Formats: sequence, structure tokens, C-alpha cells
Amino acid sequence: MTAVISTFEVCRYFGDDQETMVKAVDRVSIEIERGEFTAIVGPSGSGKTTLLHLLGGLDNPTSGSVELSGANIADMSGATLSDFRRDHIGFIFQAYNLIPVFSAEENIEYIMLLQGVDASERKRRVADMLQQIGLEGLGNRRPNKLSGGQQQRVAIARAMVSHPQIILADEPTANLDSKNGIALLDLMKELNQQSKMTFVFSTHDEKIMSRASRLIHMHDGEIELDELR
Amino acid sequence: MLTIKLAFRNLFRNTRRTILTVMLIALSLTALIAVDGVMRGMLTLLVDNVTGTLSGDAQVHRVGYRENLDVDLFMENSGSIEQTLQQDTSLRSFSPRVISGAMISSTYNVAAGILYGIDAEREQANSKVKAAVMRGEYLSGGDNELLIGHSLADLLETDLGDRIVLTLSEATTGELAQALFRISGILDFGVRELDDNFVFINIASARKTLAMTDQQTHEFVLTFLNPEDAENPEHGIFQQFNNTEIEALSWLDLNKEISFIIELMAYSSLMIGAVLFLLASLGVINSIFMSIYERIYEFGVIKAIGTRPSEIVRLILWEALLLALISCVIGMLLGFAVGSWTATNGLGGLGEIEFSGITLGNNILGEFHISQFTTFPFFAVLLTLAAALYPARFAAKIVPSEALQRSL
Ligand SMILES: Nc1ncnc2c1ncn2[C@@H]1O[C@H](COP(=O)(O)OP(=O)(O)OP(=O)(O)O)[C@@H](O)[C@H]1O
Ligand SMILES: [Mg+2]
Repeated sequence: MTAVISTFEVCRYFGDDQETMVKAVDRVSIEIERGEFTAIVGPSGSGKTTLLHLLGGLDNPTSGSVELSGANIADMSGATLSDFRRDHIGFIFQAYNLIPVFSAEENIEYIMLLQGVDASERKRRVADMLQQIGLEGLGNRRPNKLSGGQQQRVAIARAMVSHPQIILADEPTANLDSKNGIALLDLMKELNQQSKMTFVFSTHDEKIMSRASRLIHMHDGEIELDELR
Repeated sequence: MLTIKLAFRNLFRNTRRTILTVMLIALSLTALIAVDGVMRGMLTLLVDNVTGTLSGDAQVHRVGYRENLDVDLFMENSGSIEQTLQQDTSLRSFSPRVISGAMISSTYNVAAGILYGIDAEREQANSKVKAAVMRGEYLSGGDNELLIGHSLADLLETDLGDRIVLTLSEATTGELAQALFRISGILDFGVRELDDNFVFINIASARKTLAMTDQQTHEFVLTFLNPEDAENPEHGIFQQFNNTEIEALSWLDLNKEISFIIELMAYSSLMIGAVLFLLASLGVINSIFMSIYERIYEFGVIKAIGTRPSEIVRLILWEALLLALISCVIGMLLGFAVGSWTATNGLGGLGEIEFSGITLGNNILGEFHISQFTTFPFFAVLLTLAAALYPARFAAKIVPSEALQRSL
């Protein structure tokens, strides 16, 4: 198996002052293999979000490297980094993922537009994604006319549709009730198994983390335990 | 396409703010169109008064004549000059004049004044002397007819039909000469200088009194078909009569202080425009910043998923462009409405307007000009885009990891 993404002793410290400096992520070295369905777990403030942001090139490490497809994300900036994220990484956030003035379809289409995918292909892929997430017929609804669970499904579709190497999801179920949360995770798992899409998500929730095939436990910015299940 | 769609929809997320911003830009444009229209109207009135009253669009003289109005600096061959002028197709009309300083005496008083000998028939197309006759009759060609400014008549305590003696020095010999006239008309130009100092007689009598031949002339007054030709120093007339002997001067050259006022008015239009649009720009910057602050999380998301900083700038600029275009359409419609009103009704009720010794009447009619609906909105759009640039760059620099931390 090949690593999709790997970090080597990556650190992210906040603050300059030795006394008050927060080591949000401290010397983390991990490898994520293709097709993994991995959960990052740990108490609040343990560094889950920070690590996901480092993996996705949303934040620059204080030191260390983050490699994806043989490139060090830590070295990129500006439009290069934007394009890299657009083409290689899918993101799902906790809430308010969608552009409120766009319909579900347009939200899914948006990223392909940035990629320059032609119109007929965009249309085909949008329809395909809507079907996969079980929202056929709801494509022209704006986010405020969709439930929280439906909105997160659209966010998954948007993350998948650009054919990224990996999808990073920061507490995707945190704003959902447990029934909807589990349904969302089951959808992610299904997509992971069908299309071999690599998923890394963070969670607090025991039921949610039980679905993962690998658990990375964090504590105070460090990896405490890395277990395959 | 999706960017434009996104920009358009974003514009109507906060409808109230968008309407306020649109009104700010639109009303600035309306105000500018209205102010410019009135300025133009005022200018036309002023120029018409200056050129139409006596001085014409341009004049032809012997070189140096204008400096002291020396009576012996006349043009010798007016026949050949007339021929040249006749051939110029851009001229509507022209007329010869003989001019001299004179002692003007009545039975009661005496005053120094200026005597114009005019061709009664041809003068009508070049000045307002005939229109200025308030009482009595205009010149008919008779030997001793004389028109006199009403204030000068008052000073001399004379009235229609009274005798006036002009004392002047002959143009060629310098000898003193006198001639007797009867007041056939009293003039009211509404221009103090003219009403206080001027008398008009027939050109033949003037030549006779001054001992000039009918080929000798002090001045030709010219009226163009298109008055703007007078403002163009490259125009044929000014090139043709530009030698050591004869010169042609436009009304701008002849009225330096008026041309200065005109420049001043153009600048004041520009200044008002600049201030209006500067204020509007500040409002636009503020409103766009507010709209960005409300969407910081959203910008964080769309940047995170791969929107380039330049694409964010483009989005904000599209929003500003659409805002500006909507504003300009409204501004032009309102500007047209206000402009039409001032063009038909004018800015009356201001009382008599006097400008540097010239009474402009009491109603300024606004004027439309193509630039009000091309250049002005163009600059409104340009300035709105410029105003959007700073907030756009701010939005482009939003750091996703920081923006996403908000409100979660
Ligand atoms: N921009 C920042 N500036 C300063 N400190 C920060 C910043 N971002 C995160 N931190 C700190 O880094 C630590 C890790 O934060 P992080 O958000 O990664 O934790 P988390 O595991 O995602 O927590 P949660 O479960 O609450 O989401 C925390 O102590 C947090 O206060
Ligand atoms: Mg977190």
C-alpha cells in the first residue's frame, strides 16, 4: 500500500513566547494509506482540527513536513496552494459548508468550475453525486431549504466530485443528532468502500469512531495511540 | 458564469444595504449630471451674452489695434478682407465697424464715450444692438441718427430727439472734428459698460466724420455657423489672418477674464464631481467591507476548497461592477429626469443674475451633454471598482484556518 499523505515530525505552535506558547500539534509523524477510513479522536483542545488543517494545507506547520503526491504542502503558497487543495484534497467542515446563495447542485458544481471541467461533464457528475448521496430531486434547493444532515451530504458530494486524493472532515457529525450523524458516517463509509476514497475525519463521538478502521488518539498535540481495528 | 451568478446573488443577500449603496452611487451621479447641466446652461448664457451682445464670435483688426484702440490703426483694404471672409464657409455673417473715442456732449452735460459706426443692416446678424433698442428706432442709414446707452443718456440728461455733438479727432490727420446728431434710439444692453459709455451711428457718417474712405475699417465682427469654431485656434480664419498686418482674435482672446471664468467653472464642475465621487467611494468601501465581514467564514470555506485569492478578488470586483452598473442606470434615469426639469423650467426665482458686469437674465436653463451619460457613468463605474479593490484584497488574504475557527 502507498501512503496518500504523510507527515514527518510536523509541529504547529501558537504564540512566540516560550511561557504561553501552545503546542497544538507536536512532532506528529503519520502515514495515511490509500482507501483508509481513519478517525482522529481526542479531547477538546488536543489538536485534531490543527492536524487536519496541516494535512489539508490550510495552515503552515511551524516545522516538519506534510507530503501529498510527492509534494511538500508546507512549501506552497498563494495560487499554487489553492490549486493543490482544489485538485487533491476534499474538505468537509462541521457546519455551514455550503454557499448559501447557491443551490445544492451549484454548490457541487462550483469546485469543478474552478477546475475547468466542461459543462456536460459537470452536469453528469453532479447528477451522479446527487444520486450517490441520496438527494435526487433536491438539487435545486438552497442550503436553507435542506436539513443539517442533507447539507452535510451535499458537502460530501462537493468534496468527492473533484476526485481528490483524500477527504478531510473536521467533526462532520458534530452538528447533527446521533441518528443523522450515524447515517452520514455510514454514507461516508459506503463511499469509501465503493470508490476507495480515502477519508480522515475527527470526532468526539464513541459511536462514530467505532465505524473507523483506524483510530489516531491525540492528546496535547501528540499522538498517544494509533490503532488499527 | 458561476462567478457572475454568485456575485449577483450575493448582492441581494442584504437587500437594504445594497439599495442604500446603489442610491449613494446613483444619487451622486444624478447630482453630478444636474450640476453639470446647470453649469453648462450658465456658461451658454454667459458666452451668448459676451459674444452675442457686441463682440461676436471673433474679430478681425489691424495688428496692435486692440491694445489702445488707436483710431489711426485701421485696415486699409477692407474690400479684399471682405472677399476673403465671404469665401469662408464656416462663417454665418460678418460686419464692418469704425470705432473711435469721442467727447459726447448734450446741451446739459458732456461725457467721454466710445463711438461705433456700424452697418445698420449687416450688424443685426452679429450683435444685439437692434435688440437693445428700448425706446425709439434702430438706425435706418440716415445721416445724423444716433443710438445711445440709457445710462449715458441719463448722465447727459437727454432723451429721444435731442441733439448730441460728437467731438473726435480725424483718423488720418489727427485734426479735431465735430458732428451733430439726433438721438433716434435709447439702448439697454444689460451690460453696464455698454449702457454707460457707448453710442452707435451709421458707418457712412462715422467714416465721414473721421475722414476715412469707405475702404478703411477698424474692425470686422464675425459670427460662426458653429460657435465652437471660435474656440479652436487652428481654425482657418485664425490661421489666415495671422500676419504682421491683420489679425483675427476669438472672443476668448478678446475677453480674457471671461475665458478665465469659463475655465474656473469647468474646474468647479470637476471638483464637485471629485468630491461627490470621493464621498460615494468611501461609502462603497464601507459597504463592501461590511459585506465581507459578514462572510468571513464563507470565504474561509471557499478558499479552503481551492478558490484562488485572485478568484476571490474577481468575485468582489464583479459584485462591485454589478452594483455600479445598477447604480448608473438608476443615476442616469434620475439625472435625465432632473436634467429635463431644469432644461424646461430652469433655475428661475434666483432673481437677476449678474456675472462680472453682465446681467444673465433671471433663468438658467439646464443643458444636457453626451458626456453626462457616457464619461460620468464611466467614471462612476471605474471609481466603484477602485473602491472595491481594497476590500477585495482584504478578502483575498483571508486565511482559511483562521476564518474557519470563527463561530464554531
Ligand atoms: N489560531 C490559534 N491561535 C492560538 N491557539 C490556537 C489556535 N488554534 C488552535 N489553538 C490552540 O491549539 C490547541 C489545539 O486546538 P484544536 O482546535 O486543534 O483542538 P481540537 O482537538 O480540534 O479541539 P476541539 O475538539 O475543541 O475542536 C488548543 O489549545 C487551541 O486553543
Ligand atoms: Mg476541532
